[in-house]
Amino acid sequence: MALRFTPTTMQSSEMYRSLALPQTANLRSPKFTMASTLGSSTPKVESTKKPFSPPREVHLQVTHSMPPQKIEIFKSIEGWAEENILVHLKPVEKCWQPQDFLPDPASDGFEEQVRELRARAKEIPDEYFVVLVGDMITEEALPTYQTMLNTLDGVRDETGASPTPWAIWTRAWTAEENRHGDLLHQYLYLSGRVDMRQIQKTIQYLIGSGMDPRTENSPYLGFIYTSFQERATFVSHGNTARHAKEHGDLKLAQICGIIAADEKRHETAYTKIAEKLFEIDPDGTVLAFADMMKKKISMPAHLMYDGKDDNLFDHFSAVAQRLGVYTAKDYADILEFLVGRWKVADLTGLSSEGRKAQDYVCGLPLRIRRLEERAAARAKEGPNIPFSWIFDRQVKL
Amino acid sequence: MAAVPVTCVRLTTSMHTTQIVGRTSTMKLVPMGRVKSGFPSLRTSRFQISCSAKPETLNKVCEVVKTQLALASDSVVEPDTKFAALGADSLDTVEIVMTLEEEFGISVEEENSQNITTVQEAADLIEKLVEKKNASEPA
Repeated sequence: MALRFTPTTMQSSEMYRSLALPQTANLRSPKFTMASTLGSSTPKVESTKKPFSPPREVHLQVTHSMPPQKIEIFKSIEGWAEENILVHLKPVEKCWQPQDFLPDPASDGFEEQVRELRARAKEIPDEYFVVLVGDMITEEALPTYQTMLNTLDGVRDETGASPTPWAIWTRAWTAEENRHGDLLHQYLYLSGRVDMRQIQKTIQYLIGSGMDPRTENSPYLGFIYTSFQERATFVSHGNTARHAKEHGDLKLAQICGIIAADEKRHETAYTKIAEKLFEIDPDGTVLAFADMMKKKISMPAHLMYDGKDDNLFDHFSAVAQRLGVYTAKDYADILEFLVGRWKVADLTGLSSEGRKAQDYVCGLPLRIRRLEERAAARAKEGPNIPFSWIFDRQVKL
Repeated sequence: MAAVPVTCVRLTTSMHTTQIVGRTSTMKLVPMGRVKSGFPSLRTSRFQISCSAKPETLNKVCEVVKTQLALASDSVVEPDTKFAALGADSLDTVEIVMTLEEEFGISVEEENSQNITTVQEAADLIEKLVEKKNASEPA
């Protein structure tokens, strides 16, 4: 595929080259540690040495890049967070639960409801299920994401039951997200269309692998990352909902839609936090934004592995791209949205490094779009690849 | 020399220099002035050596790289310097290849674009592709 630009393609070549890039120092004096799993410049996937080994992060893992004095900022806005961020959580009593969207095992109609669910699922093509399964596996790796939020300086949950608004947010966010994986898992289980054991194995591998979104314990980087991610999941689940409807499964469309609605609410909260940071420390925040975009927003499940396919994530995302569920164009759109949402173009009083970062970020969506248009115009038809999640049936990339 | 066909002489010369010259100093030792692009037979795939690119090609590539990376126009870009060392990220590299495709009217396959990390590599690939393109067009 000539110059096929996908966030994943860019990301893997970026990973490979990241060790050769000059460091832009700025205000940071980060501590570098070699990722314990590394050989320094090996590509993401270990090819011949060990069979059945999941891929590992290859870049140097940087920690605590935010100067410690900035931790004060997050302490000082705890009151603001309580008033403005926690309001985006839904009280549990008002929340939907997975059972609301699944056949009711306590009712006499249970078996009939299951039959209907399976009949609807039969009409949905394999390629759709590949994408839905990939999304479900991503959701099921929630322990990794709660961990990631608790790596952030100044906002982490110090005890597991910390009363700070940040910690309350993180726990409640996790609790809301937990329903997503549960719902999709039970739907897929009942559908009969997919190999649950292979999927469950993939989940176990993925949680074991974790992920390093390169947020370096900095809440600046962290909240920009989560803002992007929540919008990306909102777009993605919104698209799977639309597709389900097109395939005649209105219940599945509802499932994906209700998950998407949660993601939208979470996106609102995270973008608000970042907006506050732009207000308090525009220079630091725009530098953080440019930094995250240069490093590329890596997808949470990029290390996914099922014991068989060394390029599972690439294959999954190629299908997601082809189906229009989550594409490089979406990546550019999300970036453009955030640039607008945070009024990056209007920032003033920036340092010269800050202005460079501002220019970079403002100019980036167009560059990505041009690349993607080019790649799309020249894209060749993809090969058919088996996915263990659907009993090794094949899907076109 | 006059008794020997001109192409043979050039062939010998370029083979000789390519064998002894390491990639770092191709600019200086290859007799560029004497090897003309009007003799495509010198560079067909029968000869597995990588013949170095013309100065015009190298210069053009340098210009594109300097523009992409916002380097001063009088800055010197060595043919073997890695783009990454000049401050290019992976997006810059892809855009450099795209611009070169437009400038030279060629199409670079993804597998090949991964191998373009220096001006020299870009120029060499460009010449190969331009040649292939010229060879396949009707005279």
